[in-house]
Amino acid sequence: MDITAAIDEPAADDLLDTAIGLVTIPPATGSGALGPFVASYNASGALSPGDVDLIAPATIRIDDFRLDWNLSFSFGIDLSTFLPDFCLPRVCVNIPCVGRVCTPRVCVDWPTVSVPVSFSDFVEVTADFGISITESGGVWKVEAVVQGVPNLQFGATTAALLAAISLAVTPILLAIPFAGPFLAVAVNAILVAIGIAGITGFLGPILSPFVSGLRIPIYEQAKNFEAIPAAGATDPAVFVTIDDVRAEITSTDEDELVLAIDIS
Amino acid sequence: MSLTDVHDVFAAIHEDGLDDLLRRFFGARPKYLNYGSPGFVAGTTVNATQMPAIQFPGVPGGIDWTVRIERPRVDAHPQSAGLPPELDPLGPQRVSIRTVVEICVACTGRRDDEPDPDRPDDPTHGKPHQDDPDRPVGKDLRPVCFKVEVFAIAHAERTSSPTGDALRLVVDAIELVDLEPNELESVVECLLLQILRAVLASVRLPLTALRAGAFELVPTAGPLVQDDQIEMFGNV
Repeated sequence: MDITAAIDEPAADDLLDTAIGLVTIPPATGSGALGPFVASYNASGALSPGDVDLIAPATIRIDDFRLDWNLSFSFGIDLSTFLPDFCLPRVCVNIPCVGRVCTPRVCVDWPTVSVPVSFSDFVEVTADFGISITESGGVWKVEAVVQGVPNLQFGATTAALLAAISLAVTPILLAIPFAGPFLAVAVNAILVAIGIAGITGFLGPILSPFVSGLRIPIYEQAKNFEAIPAAGATDPAVFVTIDDVRAEITSTDEDELVLAIDIS
Repeated sequence: MSLTDVHDVFAAIHEDGLDDLLRRFFGARPKYLNYGSPGFVAGTTVNATQMPAIQFPGVPGGIDWTVRIERPRVDAHPQSAGLPPELDPLGPQRVSIRTVVEICVACTGRRDDEPDPDRPDDPTHGKPHQDDPDRPVGKDLRPVCFKVEVFAIAHAERTSSPTGDALRLVVDAIELVDLEPNELESVVECLLLQILRAVLASVRLPLTALRAGAFELVPTAGPLVQDDQIEMFGNV
């Protein structure tokens, strides 16, 4: 090859730290199952660097890089599912000169309420990246591309999100006439219905795509590469053609990311 | 042994890549290979560099001349291209350069763009060929030329360029082939050593070009000429 460029593992760590910080994750919107409920959501995320481990011949492992995420979602609760039927009984009194007077029996129809929740947290991910080399539209790209779908471990996040849902539901129920005495029962029933499984089943499909499609740029140059810029009317720019790019991880006394480039 | 050794970043350009880069450089800017006085080069353009004629008493306008250099070919240590015995073998940390130089002088007493003292009103005189700078300006230059094959030994040196750190080749020695007598060879060698040294000194190859834009590199060591390539080491 005409040109060889290599960086060692600490330099690769620096390079990928910078690159991963520049990756923009498009926000996601949609709806998903939150236990028995259907929640509509808006989600956004940002990545922070991890530790790079170069593994020959073609794997870049990044340990504990961080996905900071923000999630706003709302879901509807039919309270009649969780609260007992409640009726004010008929009450009759005898009134002199008037006779017997009775109030009607009044039953409360529990409404369906919408519960908005906003929640932010982070998850640390360890993932293996392969090396993708493409030439498209006159541009050579070398990227680290995540392999498979990393398993996101939410851990304490699930309990925290359940607590956030509890905090969001409570004032809504308190505002409903006659619901006060049933508050604790209702909140508990809702949280049980959602459960840990409901939280992870809700978060996983939303946040996994933030990581599973991840491509981290390593090298990007025009095929028609400007080797020397113009320096005046009689010194035009000098271009070379990048004919081929290869990339690999080599392991000798040190692990290195090596690019080999052919020019003409 | 790792490529980066004790450094963070390694970049190397093979002699074939350097040849490609020089071919592109001189292809885009042939003025660095073609020089001449106004009789041969009407003005400095991308194709040629105009320089003054050789002034000499009694020669009106001076002696016109031109120097044309073929694109140099390089061979980095260890040696794989043949060299004249005087330069053989190619030493460590050195590159050899092979080219052909053509030198012409105008064998006339007067350039076409100067008025004939005997015919001061002649309208055909004094019109240099501005539209084609490579075409000899004078009709009656009667260029006398010779070509000589040139071999040179050079080392790589770090320098600066408008775009940052760069490399250039510095000529250390030169040898001509089949030029006699020896005194003439010495004179021409001296002349061409200075010319080739100046030409190559003006070719500053940015480090970013030598690594095709891959990875940032703040130089800490190099350039080293070894394994048929020029190597640089640095940190990010």
